[in-house]
Amino acid sequence: MKKIVLIKIMVVLGTFSSNAQIQKVDQEVFGMDCAPCAYGLERGVKKMDGLQNVRVSLNDGKAYLELSKNNSLSLRRIQEEVKKNGFSAKQAEVVIEGKLINKNSGYELETGTETYSIVTGASDDLNSKLKAGTVKLKGIVQDEEDGNLSGHWKIKLTEIL
Amino acid sequence: MTIPNPIFKIIFISIINVFAISTINAQGHGPLYGVPTPTLAKGGVNLNVAGMSLGTEDKTSYMLRYLFSYGITEDLQVNLTTPTMIEQLDNAPRTRGNSNMPANGDIEASLWYRFFSNAFGVGKRFESTAILGVSAPTDGVRGQVNVGNSIHGAISTGYASRTWYAWLGGGYQYYFERDQEQLGDLPYASAVVGYRPDIFKGDYPKPDWRVFVESLAEFPGDNRYLGQQDFTDSRSKKVLVGPSFLGLYGAWGISVGALFPVVQDLTPSAVKENYRVAINLSYWL
Repeated sequence: MKKIVLIKIMVVLGTFSSNAQIQKVDQEVFGMDCAPCAYGLERGVKKMDGLQNVRVSLNDGKAYLELSKNNSLSLRRIQEEVKKNGFSAKQAEVVIEGKLINKNSGYELETGTETYSIVTGASDDLNSKLKAGTVKLKGIVQDEEDGNLSGHWKIKLTEIL
Repeated sequence: MTIPNPIFKIIFISIINVFAISTINAQGHGPLYGVPTPTLAKGGVNLNVAGMSLGTEDKTSYMLRYLFSYGITEDLQVNLTTPTMIEQLDNAPRTRGNSNMPANGDIEASLWYRFFSNAFGVGKRFESTAILGVSAPTDGVRGQVNVGNSIHGAISTGYASRTWYAWLGGGYQYYFERDQEQLGDLPYASAVVGYRPDIFKGDYPKPDWRVFVESLAEFPGDNRYLGQQDFTDSRSKKVLVGPSFLGLYGAWGISVGALFPVVQDLTPSAVKENYRVAINLSYWL
């Protein structure tokens, strides 16, 4: 009986971790002014496991990341790589799939490694359509101090996918 | 004033060298002569190979230099530069060579610390860097004076964007006495303005070019000789201005530039300069 319970728990956790993840990140980067800067950032980001496609634009000041299925990358890890290259990571547009839970009269999206608090305000129409459970969302993750990244983010929804 | 053919030899040898050592990597997207601010990424490795020439009224010097750099953190970088002297001047003017290398036969180890950085927009940042270096000579006598070890300190602050660049810096090099003789010290200041025209603003990975106007003010002190009775501690005053160009493509960078003296208020023992020319090839790993 214990074995069955254990197997069920593992199956549930396995299902959660394979679905709960960041799928796409358009990371705004400040301070990147030259081709070797972009090259260095692209090279550094590509060293991380779980990426399908990486493109860095100097003119947009952005790193465009498409993540592979079942990746375990966190936004914190991505922003730390930006800092390691000498730049400042600002807000990011992300597509995330995760477990939405109702907490303190608001919602939080959990990916297993990070938590995204849904910001109320301008996107309230969208927020009212949210239901607890597994969801896929698109939104803007607000900028946090580069030296103080905790893995707890605030996200303003732009689309429920 | 003519720029002789050996300069092309230096350019050729520089290119050969950088390709030969291209498994390492380099940095150098700041000015060619002015004190720079950019530091490497954490864990970044970098190689620069530079060819330098300095022309006086009588003779011209040629030198190759190699600069190995490593980013300990994104704000702290360690460097080692070594020379290959091709043609030396008997009495070389006291100067730094490129922004991050000596102009003479010194081996120099240095630490760059970017103590301030504010990235405030897309492609835009202010930053300030302090440089501290120690060097040991590979030649025993320079301008008939025994050469000792030296220390070098500099500080620079700069602005970078996708269109405009500016750096202001200053430094000081002090040579220690050796066998009762001493090379003169070198206080100096640099100012650089850079511009990237719209035509060169193609997005990465397209090539990226920019042009700089660089200026250096140097105040080299006179050398002290053994048994000298009338040492007056006098200084020359020089101001040099000139253009430089920086091209970047992926992990590669090339800088080419020249400086020409516009002011030369020299002490009797100092040498008059005609020009300085340099090329720097960079590769980032």
